[in-house]
Amino acid sequence: MGVTIAFWLLAIMCIISALAVVLGRNIFRAALLLALLFFSVAGLYIILNADFLAAVQVLIYVGAVAILVLLAIMLTRDVTAGGALNKFRLPALIFSLLLVMALVYSVLSTPWQISPQAPLETTTAALGEKLFGEGGFILPVEVAAVLLLASALGAIVLVKEKDGKWKSG
Amino acid sequence: MVLRTEPFILNMGPQHPSTHGVFRMRLTLDGEVVVDLEPVFGYLHRSMDKISETRTYQQIIPLTDRCLDYLASMSNNLSYVLAVEKLADIKVPERAEYLRVIMAEMMRISSHLMAVGFMLNDMGAFFTPLMYMFREREKLLDLFEMVSGQRLNYNYMRIGGVSQDVPEEFLPALKRFVQEMPHFIDEYDQLLAENEILLARSKGVGVLPADLAVNSSASGPVLRASGVKWDIRRGDPYSIYDRFAFDIPTGTAGDVYDRYRVRIQEMRESVRILEQAIAQLPGGLHRARVPYLLRPPVGEVYGRIEAPRGELGFYLVSDGSIAPYRLHVRGPSFLNLTALRDMVVGWKVADVVVILGSIDIVMGEVDR
Amino acid sequence: MPWNWFDRPLPADWPGGYWWHLLVFAVFIVGLTLTMVMIFIYLERRGVARFQIRPGPNRCGPFGIMQPMADAIKVLFKEDIVPDKADGVLHWLAPVVAFFPALLILAVVPFHNGAALVDLDIGILYVIAVSSISTLGVVMAGWSSNNKYSLIAAIRAIAQTVSYELPMVLSIIGVIVLTGSLSLNDIVARQSVPFIFFQPLGFLIFLIGLMAEMNRSPFDLMEAESEIVAGFHTEYSSMKQALFYLAEYAHAFGGAAIISTLFLGGWKGPILPPLVWLLLKTVLVFAIMFWARATLPRVRIDQFMGFLWKGLLPLALINLFFTAAEVLVWPDGLPLALIPINFVAAGFLIVVWSGLIKFGGGRVAVQ
Repeated sequence: MGVTIAFWLLAIMCIISALAVVLGRNIFRAALLLALLFFSVAGLYIILNADFLAAVQVLIYVGAVAILVLLAIMLTRDVTAGGALNKFRLPALIFSLLLVMALVYSVLSTPWQISPQAPLETTTAALGEKLFGEGGFILPVEVAAVLLLASALGAIVLVKEKDGKWKSG
Repeated sequence: MVLRTEPFILNMGPQHPSTHGVFRMRLTLDGEVVVDLEPVFGYLHRSMDKISETRTYQQIIPLTDRCLDYLASMSNNLSYVLAVEKLADIKVPERAEYLRVIMAEMMRISSHLMAVGFMLNDMGAFFTPLMYMFREREKLLDLFEMVSGQRLNYNYMRIGGVSQDVPEEFLPALKRFVQEMPHFIDEYDQLLAENEILLARSKGVGVLPADLAVNSSASGPVLRASGVKWDIRRGDPYSIYDRFAFDIPTGTAGDVYDRYRVRIQEMRESVRILEQAIAQLPGGLHRARVPYLLRPPVGEVYGRIEAPRGELGFYLVSDGSIAPYRLHVRGPSFLNLTALRDMVVGWKVADVVVILGSIDIVMGEVDR
Repeated sequence: MPWNWFDRPLPADWPGGYWWHLLVFAVFIVGLTLTMVMIFIYLERRGVARFQIRPGPNRCGPFGIMQPMADAIKVLFKEDIVPDKADGVLHWLAPVVAFFPALLILAVVPFHNGAALVDLDIGILYVIAVSSISTLGVVMAGWSSNNKYSLIAAIRAIAQTVSYELPMVLSIIGVIVLTGSLSLNDIVARQSVPFIFFQPLGFLIFLIGLMAEMNRSPFDLMEAESEIVAGFHTEYSSMKQALFYLAEYAHAFGGAAIISTLFLGGWKGPILPPLVWLLLKTVLVFAIMFWARATLPRVRIDQFMGFLWKGLLPLALINLFFTAAEVLVWPDGLPLALIPINFVAAGFLIVVWSGLIKFGGGRVAVQ
């Protein structure tokens, strides 16, 4: 009962904040609402007994991603005047509607299997086993990490001039 | 790919905790890096030069207390009375000369204590060094109170001498202070001089090269920290400074750290001068007989001294009346600010306040 | 794992069940935090005053102990000023966002064996996650104030956050390797000898990271008084400003409680009751913080970030490596003979590393 109430509260919070992120005019507030969205997703994880994932969600998404987005926004001008009213409004609407339809269709048509097992009490140790244990996922994770690092370095190289100075003008 | 950026303009001051009064710097920033600096001043202008033209020569002395460097009133008094005495050719009694030197050197210690303390405070050392330095400054202020009855604006010097002889409890107290002071200066050194953060914040920061220092007519500790051995007490001796043995501490790099070290060393030298002056102090009159309404002969004169902040000069033009025809002050704080932009550009916002603190300005003197 | 409190049978030993337990602990934690904030403010003002050879506040009540109370009452009656063109909603919300993580941290701190609001399995991870939210409050305050000093402070806060979190988390991992659990209760239970003896370097790194996170001098770059006036709360007044002040000290209390729990043995100690031991240790940690505040000048933001990335991060990695090696060699608990070796190794590493990196200078060529 309590879990159901919590789920609906979090779900409504998620959807409202997500819509506000997209529709709001003030980008700074939109970024803050994005943090709220991440936070409510963390709440959903908690309901699913994925406590480790929830904490990491807050740490990475609220504590790092949202804050870096805010940093980028703070360094720009006309934050309050920006908005969704640009020339890509109609195409964006169409494509997002298509995406929603596809998602809804796939969710409804998938035969979801409900595991008979009780959820793990402590997920952290199990995650550690999966990651570092025998036949763990450490290699794919490392490969993904190296890929992300390479893309970060690429971004730096793109904005850096040949003689080592930062471009500005 | 080119990122289009635009400058970030920050008005530091006139209301700011560490601009030493009502100084305003219009900083153009690139991130935290200062790209340009435009000093704006005049918020404290009280028109000292013009007011002086309507005062008699004696009446100007209290003005020099208030309208100039209020942290070194004795030095302002001294510079002014020296100029007037030069103009009117007045002979000052021996005892008065010694008392003047004692006062000026005490003032230098007191002023340098404030300068170093506030510079460390600007660096973020949350008042602790400042409070330690205030402890000694307090003793000096007590001594000044003994001789003049005032703690900030002393109005002690007179044309032809000093306003009154020192009370008998003054000399023992001064002797005790002179004995204790080297120990306290060591204590300041121990407190922070070799601190890693202080070194990182001050070494190499805000370098003023010697040629630029000379060209921008900087003076005082700012000039000497750049390695120029120029002290008016030695280079153009006034009063009786040629009778004392003292060294002129100089820096090498001309950075914030050197200015800090030079001030600490100068305090030691001032203590040396005080020791000698106390030992040699003669008896006799403390003041020559000078008419109250002094009418100096027609002419002009420039009298200068080595004030704590640098060369403090008074340019006086007399038309033979009881008031100067023109009075101009060469304030060291103002002229030391000339090179501020060259020192600051390229450093961070946090360095701006430290560099400004190391120049040690008093807005009363900058704006006059 | 008390996420599903709602679906659990009530334990026999709690008369009102879990809700009662939660209510009591929540009220206890809020009350304790507010009391400790007052005590901390008083201690800091008196303590720093002693460092500065002055008496400090001594007029209000015996020895001035009512001074924080008087300040709180005064600040309540101040006029609340919101700058023109400020983002009113965010301006109002920012102190709240900055304050509540400080309280949330204390939810997992054990005051006795098992006596915490909740004993989470992911305890320490939860602490790090929650305390990273407070940066959001600082950023909101900095941006919504419509003030350039505040904006600089907000940008500094972000730059600082990305820098200090990494060495801090890595230094915690040393402790986790030693205990094999993320739960703070387990961590305390496993400390027959406080972990500071096995993790001297980790303790120092965590302390520095914590001081950066809690915005304490010499790392108080976000509110650097002599540089950017009051940083992110330049435009705050009245109760909102007080809430930031409260958040700072509540965070100091929370952080000190965490560091006591991780490295100093938490509630463990002879003779005195466990809660008293924990509070004594927090006061000790806080004393180190205001000692640093009273003594050291402030580092510059780029120097500080260089220090964190080039100094602390490699040291934290080395520390983690050594701890892991030690645990591999002695899986059943480390021998006490390692304690002097650890201290010598930590001292050696610090000396060598500080020789390798330099933080002076930093002039940027401007055309």
